[in-house]
This record gives sequence, C-alpha cells and structure tokens, in this order.
Amino acid sequence: MQETATVVAPVAAQGADIMYDVVEGPDQVAWGYRSSLTPLKRFLFPQVDPLLRWRASSGNGFEVEPTYDEVERIFLAVRPCDISGVLFLDRVFRRDREDIYYLKRRERTTLIGLNCTAPGDNCFCVCAGTGPFLSEGYDLELTEIDGEYLVEVGSEKGAELIRKSDALFAPAGEPLVSLREEMAREAEQQFGEHKSYFAAALRGVTFDRVPEDLWDELGERCLECGGCSFVCPTCTCFLTADWADARTGERRRLWDSCSYECYSREASGHNPRAKRGQRLKGRFFHKLSYQFAKPLEQHGCVGCGRCVTTCLGSDDMPTVTARVRRGAV
Amino acid sequence: MENVYLPAVAEIAGVREETYDTTTFTLKFADPAQWAAFQHRPGQFVEVSVFGVGEAPFCLASERDGKESFEITVRRTGVVTEALHELEPGAHVGVRGPLGNGFPMEEVKGRDIVFVGGGIGLPPLRPLIWEMLNSRSDFRKMTVLYGARTPADLVYRDDLERWREREDVDLLVTVDAADEEWAGNVGVVGTLFPKVSIDPSMTTAFVCGPPIMIRFVVTDLVALGLGEGDIYTTLERHMRCGVGKCNHCLIGDKYVCTDGPVFSYHQMKTMMDPG
Repeated sequence: MQETATVVAPVAAQGADIMYDVVEGPDQVAWGYRSSLTPLKRFLFPQVDPLLRWRASSGNGFEVEPTYDEVERIFLAVRPCDISGVLFLDRVFRRDREDIYYLKRRERTTLIGLNCTAPGDNCFCVCAGTGPFLSEGYDLELTEIDGEYLVEVGSEKGAELIRKSDALFAPAGEPLVSLREEMAREAEQQFGEHKSYFAAALRGVTFDRVPEDLWDELGERCLECGGCSFVCPTCTCFLTADWADARTGERRRLWDSCSYECYSREASGHNPRAKRGQRLKGRFFHKLSYQFAKPLEQHGCVGCGRCVTTCLGSDDMPTVTARVRRGAV
Repeated sequence: MENVYLPAVAEIAGVREETYDTTTFTLKFADPAQWAAFQHRPGQFVEVSVFGVGEAPFCLASERDGKESFEITVRRTGVVTEALHELEPGAHVGVRGPLGNGFPMEEVKGRDIVFVGGGIGLPPLRPLIWEMLNSRSDFRKMTVLYGARTPADLVYRDDLERWREREDVDLLVTVDAADEEWAGNVGVVGTLFPKVSIDPSMTTAFVCGPPIMIRFVVTDLVALGLGEGDIYTTLERHMRCGVGKCNHCLIGDKYVCTDGPVFSYHQMKTMMDPG
C-alpha cells in the first residue's frame, strides 16, 4: 500500500490517546484501539487549508492560482463512525455548489474500515445507525476474528487492492460470514446504557418546540472553546484568512465554530446570534433538524462520542438530546 | 469542476466619495471574458477580496448598463472596508460572483412600486430603481422613500437629484437629525408614509436598511394593508463563502447567500431563526 499512497492509521499518541496519523509501517498501527481523539476530517478538510496563492504582476495586478492537495491516501483501520462521518462530508461538500478542494482529496481516498466488536466509553453509534458494524461506504471492511481479519470488499478500488496482494488473502467460508453477523449482534448488545435517543429530540428541534429558556440554560454552560466543532466528524463551518507580504500571498481556509461570539457578528456590530443560547440552538438545529437531515440523508451526528469527551460544560449530543427530549413542549 | 472560491481579478476603474465614510467603487474585470460571464441582476452581491487583507460581501450597486463595469458602495466599518478605502484607481481586487438570488422584477410588473431605503440600504435598491425606470411603462406608480441619519449621510446625491427631477417617480427624503441647511423632512423613514398615497392591494414594496429599520418599516407596511408576500427585503448576514458552504449566514435552514439575500416578508416569517 505504501508504494502508491500515504497510509493513515490509528497510532498511539500522547498519554493514552489514539490519533489517526501517517504511518511508515504496520508496527505503528494501534489495531486494538476503541476510538481516536479526532476523526479523519482533518485529512480531507484540514484545519488550515491553503485555497489559493497570488503574486503581484505588472499587467493584471495579480495572478491568482488555486493550490490543490493531490496526495493519494489510504485510511487503514478506520472505525465505522468515522467512515460514516466521511460519507456525511461527501454529501455536504457535493450539495449544491461542489467544493473542489474536498472532492479532489476524496477522489484520491481509499477507506479501509475496522468494525467495532466493543464500544468505547462514550460511544453511541447504535443510536445514529452508523455502527458498530458498517454495511456500506467503505472500500474494504475488516472484522477481527481470532487474530485474523475477515475482509469485505465494498468497491472496485477495494477489489483492486486485494488483487494487488492476493497472496495475503484466502476466500472466507460461510461459517466466518455467519460468525460476523453474530459478532455484530453481540457488539450492539454491549452498548447497554450508552445511548442517545434521537427521534424525539429531532422532532423538538425541527418544529421549534424547545423552550428558549432551555437553550439559554445549556448556553450558560458553554465555554465557547469550539472543541465540539473541532472534534466533530460532521462539523464543516469555516472562514478564510489571508497571509501576505508585499508581492505574494496565500488565502487559507480555517475551521470555525458556531459557538464563538464572533461567528455571525457583522462589520456593523450587528450580531444575529449574540447570545450563547442562540448559538447553541443554531448548532443543534443544524445537527438535528429534519430540514438538514433530509437533504443530507442523515442527521449530523454519527455517534462517535467525541463531544462527550471534549465538552467541559456537558453540552454534548447525548446530554442535549436528553434535555431537549424532556424539555420539548 | 468549477472552483467556487477562486476570485477573478478586477481593476478599480473609479472611486466616488459618497459621504465622509462611504465610497462607491467602479470595478472592471482585468480579463474582459469575465464580464460576459458576469450576468448580474439587482439584489445580487459579490465577494470582494483585498488581497492580503481578506474578503467581504457587498451588494451590487449598479444596473447593467453596457459599461462593462459595475459598482459597489462601501461604508468604512471593518477590516476589509478600511483596506478598500485605502485603494486608489488602478489598484486591483478580487471578485467572486454574482451571488445570490436577486429581486423579482417580472413578477411585479403592472404594480405600484414603493422603495424604502435606510442609510446604506439604498445601494441594493439603486440598480432595481434604475432598471425599473428603464422599463418604466411596465410598472404603475413608483415611489422612493429614503432616510439617513443626517444630511451628511445621504448617498447617491446625483441619483437623488435625477429622481427628483423626473415626473414618473416620486422621491421623498428624510433625516433623523437635521443640520442648519436641511429644509426637508425630519424623522425616521416611516414618517414619510403619511405623505404618500399607497394603494395596498396594488403595491409591492422593496425595503433595505439596518435590521431595526426593516422591522419598523415592515410593520408599518403591513398596517397599511400590504400583503406579506408583497414586501421584499435583503437580509444582512456575514456571508463569508457566498456559496452555501461555510454556514455563517444560516437562518434556520435557509442560506442567506444562496436562498437569498432577497426574501419576502412572508418567507421571513416562516424562517426559523435561532438568532
């Protein structure tokens, strides 16, 4: 794989954290990990992404050139929630006006998933329908069975990878396929209380039945750190900023977060979402309402649980959906 | 695949000072082929880059008139607008657009038209006023109501003069606070309504200005009997990308940049606004 592409896989980071990062060899891959600190998003939609460069010229004032990332990447041992996150980004960046920067990277992406046989501490993918086993969206999907991997092929790209190293693979028999089904059922059962029930919260948000007081109360706990947006596989808000010297410069796209006070503030000083409660409401409307879930084919949560890990104020998805469910009128 | 974030280079072909803090810039594409693709209509906007400083949205302030250039009117109020005001004719900027939906014109033919502009809200209305005047027989009575904070804040003095001289359009101007020379109306723009006769069932209104002014004017117009679908406004949001991707201008599930910026009051009422 490494001959033709950059390989990205879960690796041990600082402390007990696991991160998706570039690997040089199989020894670096943290195969047994539960979930990583951040999703794959930063490889397809980087936190700082150069969009274009310009150069002062005598004729036209400026010559402007786009800057594209055309690196082939294979993502190895990716959890189902994170593959679902990428599929969600696909729909966001293909919707209406296509985003060439994302789509160029996506065309050069191979996704090799790794099904989850047990949930992590904050996982609730079962409620989002994105795990613990994935049935589509991958190029290859792995399930670990007694030290070996059952491989499912999800695309021509995946099939080609198998053909190139066919000495490594043998056809799987029916018993293994049945065992996979059983493992998927067992994995689901292990979620127990790790759940976030969406349906009622979706209705509450969609029809604006959530009291403003509740948004204000939840907003009081938001520290405006932006962590929820940055670790979320489906958050894509951005702004652009310029770096320049006298003759050349670069425009970069930067992640933004709707939790920031300056998010929608205008030059005039007018701020349509001046209160934290309003911003939180906007965030969860965008994530959960039918108005967005319909065109994007899914609500904006894959159940990875990263906001639970990250939010210091407990404005995470399971907590907020629970409060909205109880508080909706 | 088109790159929706790539600006075209345009030259500042003209600079006209409107007020102490507001300037109109004439922009002309460096590559003439860009102009053919730039099929703009009133109510649309552009994202203008001052390279090295940043990009900001501005409404198109001129109608298509065969000059192969267009205008934006800019109040000096933020980082990009400050930088724009430093630029002189011959300098170059970046332009993406035209963006957004624009005002309805065909749909309102045969009706009385009332324009209500507040302060820097006149620029989006200006190309609409001129395009309607250019096909004047398509519309019935036309009335322009314009209010600014002080006489020194009035923009487009040449246009105001020309509209005042024309018999086929009524212009009324007001200021919130007069100076010694001001002999006209004093008060917010809503104080002009009693001075004009409006046939509510036959009238379509186009309202642009600061959010607070829009709220009061729309209330006045509804009280006069105008239909909620016959009142149009352009909404002000910080549209960063202009193409429905960055999410900054979302109101409920509506992108002001692509679903708007022109909305009828009827649409606005049904928009779920978290803000």
